[in-house]
Amino acid sequence: MRTTKIILLYILFQLSTVGIVQAQMERQRAESNPTIDDAFWTPTLVTQATTEHLAARNLNVTIMHSFGIATENPIRNFFGFDLVQNVRLGLDFGLTDRWSAGIGRSSQLNVVDLRTKYALLQQNTSDSKPVSISLKGGVGVVTQENRRSFEDDLSTMVSAIISRKFSDAFSLQLSPMYGHFNRYEDIGSTDLFSVGVATSLHLSKRFALMAEYYPVLGDRPAGTKNAFSMGLNIETGGHVFQLFFTSTDWHLEQYVMADNTEQFWAGDFRFGFNVNRIFGL
Amino acid sequence: MDTRALPHRWVTIFLAAGLCFLGMAKESLSQSFMTKSGHVEFDSSVPLHSFTGVSDQLVGKISLADSTVDFYVDMHTIKTGISKRDEDMLETLEAEEYPFAEFFGKVTSPFDPNRSDPQKVTIEGKFSVHGVTNPLSIEGTLQKNGKELEATASWTLDMSDYKIKPPGILFYRVSEEVDISITASLPARDQIDDD
Repeated sequence: MRTTKIILLYILFQLSTVGIVQAQMERQRAESNPTIDDAFWTPTLVTQATTEHLAARNLNVTIMHSFGIATENPIRNFFGFDLVQNVRLGLDFGLTDRWSAGIGRSSQLNVVDLRTKYALLQQNTSDSKPVSISLKGGVGVVTQENRRSFEDDLSTMVSAIISRKFSDAFSLQLSPMYGHFNRYEDIGSTDLFSVGVATSLHLSKRFALMAEYYPVLGDRPAGTKNAFSMGLNIETGGHVFQLFFTSTDWHLEQYVMADNTEQFWAGDFRFGFNVNRIFGL
Repeated sequence: MDTRALPHRWVTIFLAAGLCFLGMAKESLSQSFMTKSGHVEFDSSVPLHSFTGVSDQLVGKISLADSTVDFYVDMHTIKTGISKRDEDMLETLEAEEYPFAEFFGKVTSPFDPNRSDPQKVTIEGKFSVHGVTNPLSIEGTLQKNGKELEATASWTLDMSDYKIKPPGILFYRVSEEVDISITASLPARDQIDDD
């Protein structure tokens, strides 16, 4: 009798496993701990590089504009729009998913710049990596005729970019950075330090507010102020438009640190906009 | 000899024989094919902005004995060639909340596993994406190729059926219709790790 019972139980077990064979597979995510993306929508916020990276073989074409001070003779200068101050045209290319390189040219002083950025660490959903860290380096050369040597026209910058996406909406970033000019105006060799602060607040899938600040630490060229910018990102699907008010008329970090003489909160701000368009190659 | 023991003995033998048959039956029922590296792609057309999304991490299982067909793909594995567009797509599909596109159904037309040529089949079941499930009938082919089963299928998905709001690209709108196709080679189940 006992053997019979055992066999019957075994048959029941077998039948139950037949049922399992016919059931749906358990759905499993391909990547159980993916990295966080979209802390920022663009590799450069207003002027500060972010921890957002281009994917491999993606080309980001950027057009960055800044106009004249909006509050100076606002009617005659149409809020500064008549005074195009600086335009930087740039190309950045994703060499890998974590490493990009780019070139750009600013109309102000005809500065041509090369830059590269590498993602050292990327924040993930499990928070085992709670922050993203990227390293950036850039070099600029003034190509406008100025009767100076090539060395005197060179400037460089390096930064470590540390960001955290705290929620779906809010991200914060700190960028300790160092800028160096072989010869800045008449001062000569100039070194600058700052801890850039940048933030993004997503209002919806299409709109996000942003702000960035450059508190320069230590020595700085006389009369310069800490640059501040704030604005709106508009994601249109394919393009990201960035409309902003800013005190600086530069789109390169070392120049923003060295050459901002306006005080944003005193009303000395200008309008500017960036256009980002990414192509897959 | 205890005469009362005889019927039990016979019952035991009978059950044991039944057990053997059941084991064999189960063996045939578990004759299934599975892959985790099927290919799925979709074509979305916008004037001047057509693009294709591709994933090679389509998970699929076909059980011939009971004709069930079970496929799913993690939406995060679909790449369109531009990372920004991938992010747009995932947001449009609310992929954090609904990470999978999945189909579960049955082959409803005859399929002869002893033939090695491609055979047209009809598969009927339910397709889910973006948290919406709809009945779906797909025409496809199945081909027994040694110990593998080759499967292909394609169909057109209407985004409005799945409450997907096509994203706008400037003044254009992505077409509401998306052509989806899958190709997969599914090794017999005993050939891959189940991990």
